Amino acid sequence: MSATTIHPEETPTMRTNLRHRSLLSDALRRFSHNKLAMFGLTIVALLVFAAIFANLIAPFPYDEANVTEALQFPSGAHWMGTDEVGRDVYSRIIYGARISLLVGLSSQLIALMIGVPLGLAAGLMGGKVDWLVMRLVEVMTSLPALMIALLLIAIFGGGLVNVIVAIGLVAWLDACRLLRGQLLSLRERDFVLAARTIGVRNRRIAVRHLLPNAIAPLIVAITIGVPTAIFTEAGLSFLGLGVNDPVPSWGKMVGDALPYMRVYWYLGVFPTLAIALTMLGFTFMGDGLRDAFDTAGSK
Amino acid sequence: MIRYILGRLLGIALVLLVVSIVIFLLMHAIPGGPFDEAKMPLPAAAKANILRKYGLDKPLYEQYARYMWAALHGDFGTPFQSPTESVTGLIARTWPVSFKLGMVTLAFALPLGMFAGVLAATRQNTWIDYTATFLSSLGLTIPNFVIAVWLMLLFAVHWKILPTGGWGHWYNYIMPAISLGLAPMALTARYTRTSLLEVKRADYVRTARAKGLSSNQVLWRHSMKNALIPLITILGPQIPNLITGTIFVESIFRIPGLGKFFVTSIFRRDYPMIMGTLLLVALVWSIVYLITDLLYMVVDPRVRLDKKSS
Amino acid sequence: MHSSKLALSKRMLAVIAILLLAGLLQACAGAPAAEAPAAAETGGEAAGPVVNALGKELPADAAPLEQQVLVYPYAAGNTFTTIDIYEAVYQRADGLTDLLSDALVRVDKNFDLHPGAATEWSVDESGLAWTFKLDPNLMWNDGTPVTADDYVATLQYGADPEHAWDFTWYFNGVIKNWSQVVAGEMPLEDLGVRAEDANTLVVETETPAPYLPAMLIYSTPLQKKALGEYGPLYNSNPETSVSSGPYKLVEWSRDQRLVYEINPDYKGTNVPYIEKIISLGIGNDGYLPAYEANEIDFALGRYLSPADIQIILSDPELKAQYHPHPGDFRTYYFFFDDSKPPFDDLRVRQAFAYALDRQGLIDNVIKEQGIPAYSFLMPGFPASNSEAYKDIYPYNLDKARELLAEAGYPNGEGFPKLTLTLRNEPAMPEAVAQAYASTLKDELGIEVDVSNMEFKTYVDAMLADPTEIQFSLISYGMDFLDPSNMLGVFVSGGRHTWSNPEYDELVTKASSFVGDPAERIKMFQDAEKILVDDVGGVFVYHQTPGDLYKPYLVGEALTPDNNGVAAWHWPGFSGFSTLMQDVYISNEVTDYRPTPPQ
Repeated sequence: MSATTIHPEETPTMRTNLRHRSLLSDALRRFSHNKLAMFGLTIVALLVFAAIFANLIAPFPYDEANVTEALQFPSGAHWMGTDEVGRDVYSRIIYGARISLLVGLSSQLIALMIGVPLGLAAGLMGGKVDWLVMRLVEVMTSLPALMIALLLIAIFGGGLVNVIVAIGLVAWLDACRLLRGQLLSLRERDFVLAARTIGVRNRRIAVRHLLPNAIAPLIVAITIGVPTAIFTEAGLSFLGLGVNDPVPSWGKMVGDALPYMRVYWYLGVFPTLAIALTMLGFTFMGDGLRDAFDTAGSK
Repeated sequence: MIRYILGRLLGIALVLLVVSIVIFLLMHAIPGGPFDEAKMPLPAAAKANILRKYGLDKPLYEQYARYMWAALHGDFGTPFQSPTESVTGLIARTWPVSFKLGMVTLAFALPLGMFAGVLAATRQNTWIDYTATFLSSLGLTIPNFVIAVWLMLLFAVHWKILPTGGWGHWYNYIMPAISLGLAPMALTARYTRTSLLEVKRADYVRTARAKGLSSNQVLWRHSMKNALIPLITILGPQIPNLITGTIFVESIFRIPGLGKFFVTSIFRRDYPMIMGTLLLVALVWSIVYLITDLLYMVVDPRVRLDKKSS
Repeated sequence: MHSSKLALSKRMLAVIAILLLAGLLQACAGAPAAEAPAAAETGGEAAGPVVNALGKELPADAAPLEQQVLVYPYAAGNTFTTIDIYEAVYQRADGLTDLLSDALVRVDKNFDLHPGAATEWSVDESGLAWTFKLDPNLMWNDGTPVTADDYVATLQYGADPEHAWDFTWYFNGVIKNWSQVVAGEMPLEDLGVRAEDANTLVVETETPAPYLPAMLIYSTPLQKKALGEYGPLYNSNPETSVSSGPYKLVEWSRDQRLVYEINPDYKGTNVPYIEKIISLGIGNDGYLPAYEANEIDFALGRYLSPADIQIILSDPELKAQYHPHPGDFRTYYFFFDDSKPPFDDLRVRQAFAYALDRQGLIDNVIKEQGIPAYSFLMPGFPASNSEAYKDIYPYNLDKARELLAEAGYPNGEGFPKLTLTLRNEPAMPEAVAQAYASTLKDELGIEVDVSNMEFKTYVDAMLADPTEIQFSLISYGMDFLDPSNMLGVFVSGGRHTWSNPEYDELVTKASSFVGDPAERIKMFQDAEKILVDDVGGVFVYHQTPGDLYKPYLVGEALTPDNNGVAAWHWPGFSGFSTLMQDVYISNEVTDYRPTPPQ
């Protein structure tokens, strides 16, 4: 259940004598010409839309149970049927977008808050700091993320907040590794060497030159980290260790649907599709962003 | 090179030490103990007896020290779940089963995934590409035991051509390997596609094309080799997952593997087994990472050892 | 009362399996050849009656001996440690266990007590000393006799502080000095259990305990000699295993299966027809598929999902093989931490009781898997008086709102947000909790989260002092057939905070009451009324699990009992049930599995 999205090491060949603004507009142009990326963006936009306006879109509250209408197959009244206690599946899926985005974005935020300072420290300071950070990364990577999250939740209990924190605590590795790798490879580049030879100090180099160049891959990493986090949440909730009912988590919906799947297939199919589409959207968008920022392939 | 490997091995030993401390602290922080009574409160005296019997009445640091001392001498304790064997014995009995299943799974999932990825990349932005991409995303999303149950219903109940489970015959691999293999297959397909497309645009490929090599030749001679790098990165972590087994698929198909012990050990608060299984996983991951890094070197000479993991 | 699995070297297992296979193939190949001429001689008539190794004649419609194989599942998700109840109750396989020796007593399908290893028993005038006369014929299959010493050693092992048995609470306050021995304050020899002679066992109790014989269904002994020689896990290995029961252990393939065969040296009275039992590990979602594929003969209702039940009930053939029964008389109920606000207020608890729509839940969620519960004791259980409590708190939302307002929470205002916790429950009880939580929110304005917790985390939180579980849905199934067992759960100091001195006194008094049984029952019923009135719990439903078993499993034990229920009754195929004397495989079996399972 752990779809580890470790990103291939970036090999940026950006020419930094270009103005950042033109770089950005170039990237946007390339992005908007990429059909798959636009498709991904559309899905993500729909997701955000559903999350924000869930209470307007959803025909029913996500937690309104009516046992006399339990386990109804999809119909005009309930487009995606009703679950085992008579809740409208379609409404729960719409509200589920909120949970998924919340989990995906906030856990990535936590991951960045840990990963960026550590990556910066390792990449800029090098030496003992780098060694220490890399050992920490190694310890964390040598254990499956889901297992660590599982242990953390076993200790601190489930619930939405704990799940987000647990995922964030195991998701910072990518950001850290990526940033460090970027910094290391950029340090050897001509423009940095040039800056250094004319006497610019390390910190200035970092702020003026290194960070802007590292941001693009970081954005890509986040885009790809979001669906991973959503998927991990789904996995934990699926195992019964995630969010509590009636919070409409797609993962929990799939987990709860399992005992009913052989007959009431729709209970599992729709949330599975929702997870798949979300992952697809973020992945395409991430791929598109990477292509757009990566000028190596520019025609 | 040898110095590098030795250094990394030393690093692995250090990582395992840290992992052992982390896991030890984490697992003892989980509420509940190995022998909590399920129905009625246990008399205090009986609880004390249980703790004493398993050495859990001692302070944590002493328990840890005892554990590590014994472990260094090759004694990883006795699983609470299976007191007639040792942790090492249990792992030696069950791991090969999971390992074999994982290898069989990889053996079909990798080539098929790469094939699908190549297909999608060479027909970029056609319906073949979109279908392959969508299917692989779906493959990553559907939990493997949902696949497992449906396979069982089809093959064993409906068509009656395979038994619902069991172990020891070649046909016992079919359903579990498919259930386990779809996700890595999808992942392989997706990454093969992405990196092929990336490489396709690279200068040297364009040069090769300009020199008049056919697109197939370019694909196999130049693109594939470079596309392997991200593939190694992404598949590395899949391998430990696969070869250490999974609880759901193994229990559904009655496979006597290691998989279920990861979860049951935590649920049963089987401390020796939690330590044993997680240390094993940490070791396997570390080794896979080491091999991955060595492979990078083979595939991409530009990668310098000192930079990968100083 | 169930649980889990252990290990042999794989190579050895393979060898055993091959040997078994070879043996069976021979048997298969040999049997028809031997029968054919016999049939020819008698002109098509079946040969004379078939008699098994224990001299028991198979019924006329029984399948041949080699087809008398029962394939019975256990949950493969767990690992089980033992097949002996005195080693660990909760770490046994939940398939077939406790077959390797005879309990002192056993029960039939009507839950009536019958002699087992004890041919007769009596209590002295004080009501404190019970004498059990053992069947002198019983032998272990190593050639040594079963004696009272084995039972004494087994009970002592159960109380041994070094062993730390997981079921010690069971005999607390019952067997004399039990708790002191468990606490290590007295030596094992002071336990109130002794062998007067080889065939006479005396059990002393703390207070008169008329239910002691019923409790002693859990008395399948370990062999004293093997305990000494090989330690308590001697039954984990067929080579050190020793049996005085109807079966012997021949194979234990860790994480795969257990195989028992009939014990030709069995001298007891629980004589079976079934020649061989294969206990097969099955994953949770695999029960129905394996059953449909004819790989198992039996599927425990506990592991059937709601979709499985739906499939079964809509298929006439499967429906005929589905047999609901009272199971272990399990009751699901909500309970509260009433040591703290808001649940220390009776009116709040009453409001919650009024807000429960049992019939709605039965009709739409529970369906065939339960009947409404108005109190703790299920109809059919001794002293049950369910109907009498039916109208104490009927479904009445107006009344619930009124009481909640009286308690200071009009429309739920000011009521703290609740978490309704469950102890790792399957889909159906979880749906019950979700539905009730939704009612509480929609109708009473009380916000409720439902959290289905991992088992040990839950138990740890529930039994913490003070308890960390505020509001919960949980179940209890009986351990033995006496009201003292079930009602004892709510006695102060148990697992719930609810406490009522009057209730405690009635239950304690009734438990050790040796006079008129009717009067004793009346005391229990009065106590139960207090439990309902004072809302010690809100009782939801009594579970009626349905097991699936193949139509070729037949026998007197599976015909309707006194309540008209025809099912595979608790405690099933075990050393403390008479069921195994009756159940056999009819010749219909060949329609399902033409060759015997290997």
